[in-house]
Amino acid sequence: MTHTSRPPSRRTGLVLSGGGAKGAYQVGILKSLVENNIQVDAVAGASIGALNAAVLASAPTLKEGTARLEELWLSLAASPPLKHNLPGYLHLVLNAGMTMASGPFSNLLARTTTSAGLALASIHQHRPGLLSQDPLQALMGKYFVQENIAKGLPLYVSVFKSHGAFRDIADATLAEIGIRDTAPSEFIHIQALPADEQQKVLLASSALPVLFAAENIDKQQYTDGGLGGWQKSQGNTPITPLLQAGITDIIVTHLSDASLWSRHDFPQATVLEIRPHTSMARDGGASDLLGFDAEKITSWIQQGYNDTQTTVHRLAEINTARTSLRMSEQRIEAQLQTFPVLDKEMAAAMARINKP
Amino acid sequence: MIQASPSAWQDDPLSSMLSALPEKFIVDFANGIDVVRDHNALQRQRENSMYMRLFDGITGQGQKRQNAINASLADGLDGALTWLTELTGSLSRSNRTIELVQAKVATLQGNLTAVAHYSADTREQLARLTQDLTRKIDSLAHDVARLDLLQRAELQRDLVLSKWKAGRFSMLPIAGRCYATLEELRWGDFGHFYRQTTPARRAEHLELLENLVVAQLVADANIYSSQRQDSRLWLAIAPAGDYAGMQPALAYLGDWAQPEQSPFVYSAVNLPQTLPPNMPRLCSPVRLSHAMLEEVLVRETQ
Repeated sequence: MTHTSRPPSRRTGLVLSGGGAKGAYQVGILKSLVENNIQVDAVAGASIGALNAAVLASAPTLKEGTARLEELWLSLAASPPLKHNLPGYLHLVLNAGMTMASGPFSNLLARTTTSAGLALASIHQHRPGLLSQDPLQALMGKYFVQENIAKGLPLYVSVFKSHGAFRDIADATLAEIGIRDTAPSEFIHIQALPADEQQKVLLASSALPVLFAAENIDKQQYTDGGLGGWQKSQGNTPITPLLQAGITDIIVTHLSDASLWSRHDFPQATVLEIRPHTSMARDGGASDLLGFDAEKITSWIQQGYNDTQTTVHRLAEINTARTSLRMSEQRIEAQLQTFPVLDKEMAAAMARINKP
Repeated sequence: MIQASPSAWQDDPLSSMLSALPEKFIVDFANGIDVVRDHNALQRQRENSMYMRLFDGITGQGQKRQNAINASLADGLDGALTWLTELTGSLSRSNRTIELVQAKVATLQGNLTAVAHYSADTREQLARLTQDLTRKIDSLAHDVARLDLLQRAELQRDLVLSKWKAGRFSMLPIAGRCYATLEELRWGDFGHFYRQTTPARRAEHLELLENLVVAQLVADANIYSSQRQDSRLWLAIAPAGDYAGMQPALAYLGDWAQPEQSPFVYSAVNLPQTLPPNMPRLCSPVRLSHAMLEEVLVRETQ
């Protein structure tokens, strides 16, 4: 996608948060943005959002990128992208463990395990992850055109520096229960990297929660960027690199119900949040995060579209009303400027009429 | 596949206005609703479970969520205040404009009233002027017509008398010449003018014509104007000329003449062996001329 020449103050950035299979929701969001002619000048993503962002950035236009993403996600729906690297019953046990509990700890377990998926894998750093990324990489290879990324939208992704799986899990758990936040994620400008590192960073950031292997970059293990700054979703909702690029108009998308990410932490930015208007949960827990099935994906795409339409529509109505009011005031003011001349002409005409 | 949103937003021509985000307070105002609803929905869902309430309390997430709601509500209030201030300012400016326009309308109404009066006055003046002009034009047209008729009458009089003088009626008796001349004048432009004109003008032209006829009678009879001679001489057929051919025409012209009322014309037309009782036996050119004019022209205008 060709970088626009709009000044930074007029550029719009797009933040695509992480959330596993719920990333389909972002396809619906993008469909709506395209439909409403909303321009995007830079994109930042975490986890699945980084993958979506990479496809967008390597497409010639936002519309084309959105079409490619939709095609990719419908392909995911038709053919699940995860290949087991462990006996099937282990996967079933793991999923069941994440979804059976109904108390608050189910959420904790799901969130920490999800985000610590790479960390789990990195417990055994010489072993592959419990699930293989190969099918996903194959799909990405089809839709992510690396040669185009250099002239595409500026693309930023978040990655989290792993300190070992056990510690990552412990840190995320401590953050979730409010004792101590995780270390912040790092943000990487993809176009600033050598070509051979770009895909590694993307895979590190987008290593889908639960059981993918971490990426080794410069002798350092990097995992899902969503782990960093856990309590405020600093890594999972990577708005910071866009602000650092001077972009202050930003559309932020969320993939979880009632995300605690707060626009008020970024008072300098004008943030339009696309939040789910109804629950994102389908089955709940990790089952949703890994729910690459047709029914869920199409429902999330539709939900993203509907929610964005509602949000954008409401904003447009307000903005249109205000703009119309201002324009009408300007027109009235312009009309008033003509009064003195008209008054003078009328006075002259009346003087002629009244002349004895 | 994506199903289109049921809203009419897609057809809104102003949708392009969102190609860039509007001002921050507008976005916060509109978008804060989504944030509040998102957190509220989760809060309602979790308030029914003691474990979740405990978890939210212990981890502080409940407080964080409430803070997010409060902040968005505060944003909403800020936005509402900003917008209300803008709207109030706009309303104030609109009211001032309405006041100004009202004053203009009042002025305009006054001026319009003046113009309406001026227009009505002008129309009345124009109507009067039109009437005057019409009257004057009619009068002028009448004068022109009258002058034209006078000119044609004089021309005919001169033409007919010149024919008499030129001897075109020489085959007739002198009285017949006089009658034929007067009858032709009566049926032509002279007679028309004579009947149309005022009595004073009529009298003038009658006198002039009488003088001319007298002069011609004097010339034909070779006598003085007041010299009386036997009336038979006035009725004598000229020795030369084809009187017989002319007589029927003359008789036809004068068939209206009765011996009692118009003895001169009757005699001139019929040349009776016995003159009517009212026909003088002696008659001067003046008497003949006067009587002929009386019988042919004067009587019909009395």
